[in-house]
Amino acid sequence: MVEPGVYLEKLSWFSRLLREEGLTVGTQETIDAGKILVSLGFEDREQVKTALRTVYAKSREEQNLFDRVFDGFFLSEERMRQLAKEHLEQQQREQQIQEQAREDLEVNGKPMELTEEQRSIYMTMPEEAREKLRRFRETFQDTAERSPKLYDNFIKSVFVKTILEEQMRMEDAGLGCMAADPEIGILYRDISRFRDTEIPKAITIIQSISQQINGELSASRKHRGHSGKLDFRRTIRKGLETGGSFYRLHYKKKRHRKKHLVLLCDVSGSMMQFSEFALRFIQSLNHVSESSRAFVFSEELHEADAFSLQNMDLFRSSIRESGLYGKGTDLGSALEDLLNRQPAVLNRSTTLIILSDTKTVDQPRAIRALLEAKRQAGRVLILNPIPESKWPYLKSAQAFGAVCSMVSCSTLNALAAACRRLSDR
Amino acid sequence: MTLDELKQKLDEANYIYDDTLATVLAVSLQLGRPLLIEGAAGVGKTEIAKVMASALGRDLVRLQCYEGLDESKALYEWNYQKQLLSIQVNMNSDDKDALTRSLFSDEYLLERPLLHSIRSEKPVVLLIDEIDKADEEFEAFLLELLSDMQVSIPEIGTIPAKTVPFVVLTSNRARPLSEALRRRCAYLYIPYPDLDKELAILRAKMPHLDDQLRLQVAKAVQSLRSNEAILKKPSIAETLDWAAALDALGVRELTPDAIRNTAGFLLKNTEDIECMHETGDADCGCGGHDHHNCGCGGHHHG
Repeated sequence: MVEPGVYLEKLSWFSRLLREEGLTVGTQETIDAGKILVSLGFEDREQVKTALRTVYAKSREEQNLFDRVFDGFFLSEERMRQLAKEHLEQQQREQQIQEQAREDLEVNGKPMELTEEQRSIYMTMPEEAREKLRRFRETFQDTAERSPKLYDNFIKSVFVKTILEEQMRMEDAGLGCMAADPEIGILYRDISRFRDTEIPKAITIIQSISQQINGELSASRKHRGHSGKLDFRRTIRKGLETGGSFYRLHYKKKRHRKKHLVLLCDVSGSMMQFSEFALRFIQSLNHVSESSRAFVFSEELHEADAFSLQNMDLFRSSIRESGLYGKGTDLGSALEDLLNRQPAVLNRSTTLIILSDTKTVDQPRAIRALLEAKRQAGRVLILNPIPESKWPYLKSAQAFGAVCSMVSCSTLNALAAACRRLSDR
Repeated sequence: MTLDELKQKLDEANYIYDDTLATVLAVSLQLGRPLLIEGAAGVGKTEIAKVMASALGRDLVRLQCYEGLDESKALYEWNYQKQLLSIQVNMNSDDKDALTRSLFSDEYLLERPLLHSIRSEKPVVLLIDEIDKADEEFEAFLLELLSDMQVSIPEIGTIPAKTVPFVVLTSNRARPLSEALRRRCAYLYIPYPDLDKELAILRAKMPHLDDQLRLQVAKAVQSLRSNEAILKKPSIAETLDWAAALDALGVRELTPDAIRNTAGFLLKNTEDIECMHETGDADCGCGGHDHHNCGCGGHHHG
């Protein structure tokens, strides 16, 4: 039997590790876990795991994270020996790769300007991918002699691009293991990864969440402050219920002003599914907006009528008929068209919501048009289906994010949170 | 209560559980923490509170949550009519202060489930059902009760718990719950049961059911749950209803006719029922090849 002091010390390390993984672990959780360990001991590993999971993990997602950290932290003796052996072999392999990588990441005898993280990602790339890059270098070796600077820049750009792609792929794989768990629920999965069979369920969820948000907004409006003026009629009428005593005073409510929404939706190829979901969501939030107009665009801009938004098939066929489907994205031209419409679509009381992944042709033109739209509209918000973790790799996301507010909406849950934000102002 | 004692009590209550569930319940009891249970509708979340009440020999106090639920429905309310009558009767009393004080005493306080659960002389099991249906304000209001086992009533002050209830909160994940609420609770997620557990539940709840039919029902339900096209997956409650319906009709073997006549007990919308008939998911799940093992008799595979 291990001394309680030993595993209690380990427990504080474990709590810290969980915190680093993103779980909200306070001292209370560690104290509770300690009590449990003292009472259960460490004889039955699975039982301890379940008990600690109950204390530390507060949602299904956190349970998955917890299991991963627990399995990595509390190892059996046999497994530890095996891991130590594997670790030694791995170290030797890594040393070889490191030496090879040092050679690979040199151009004209000088090391490439790469961050430590990028270098380590290069080392984790599969051998075939590294070999491909090596062959690529050799192909253009002639250029190195003719124009060393050009060769230098070109090779470096290819390497950096491949490394960034690998980095994104690795992050996707990390997300993928969460998304693959059917128990996690459709609410937390990437919208673009929904299967066709899941779409009806997603629509049902959207309806239920929008109903919930409508309820919340309506309740919060009820609780919102009064205008300060006494409502004599209601006070006297309510007083009659309590025998004429004015038990509770009633005040006049502040007038609630709903917003005018203008939705600009990118429907080019991969954005179609997201736009359809987001449109459906926002349109069903009748407590958010007084009125809304929806525009769809790829290379041109069209106004979507309410009829075509009724169901997914109708929406898709109307997009196909409009000739927008399958074309590239030109946000600049779409915004300019919107701004030039008469009578004016945007004014100080409108909120412009752009559903776009910000990947567009002629980015400077799009930024100029966005600035003009921001000047004309009361508020501009971009709902971006690309997860926020990937924005640092995308120049367009950085450029648009600097100009106006941008919210990540890669999952239905994030979309719901963004829609809740629409009511704040 | 130790884990073994709890398991014994659960056995006595004729409740089918696995080690995970028993451990979570024991931990929650030992730490005196509210237990937040999440899972799809009908997997037995509410049942856990009932079973715990029976296992611990306590009364069950239930608060059903809904949109707009507030403290007057959940915690307490003053009996206004009685207060007004008292004012009228004692109008000529000399001691006005005493009258005012008496108006906000226990005599005029209407206890609602939350207050009742902490003022009860004997500890109870408090079930706060479908917390995700309540507003976020109500969630925030619950925090004081869940963390400190006390409530504050402005006219009286803070009321600490006489006895500490075992609190069970359930949620269908219709909306995400606040981080603050989650932090105060122990957490349990109940997935749909696997085939063995489903069979055990059927055996415990309907011991008279024919073995062959029980196996066919359990397999058919498992098969439906794995079908992505089914929107509302059948839960344990629906499995039991379906088995009871088949039993009531005197069905001994799952045939297409029997399935057609009783599908409404298993699936709750037309699209799902049509999908089941199209895909033939509610057959015994053996695909027509493994009749001996599945006990289907093979006749309904054509």
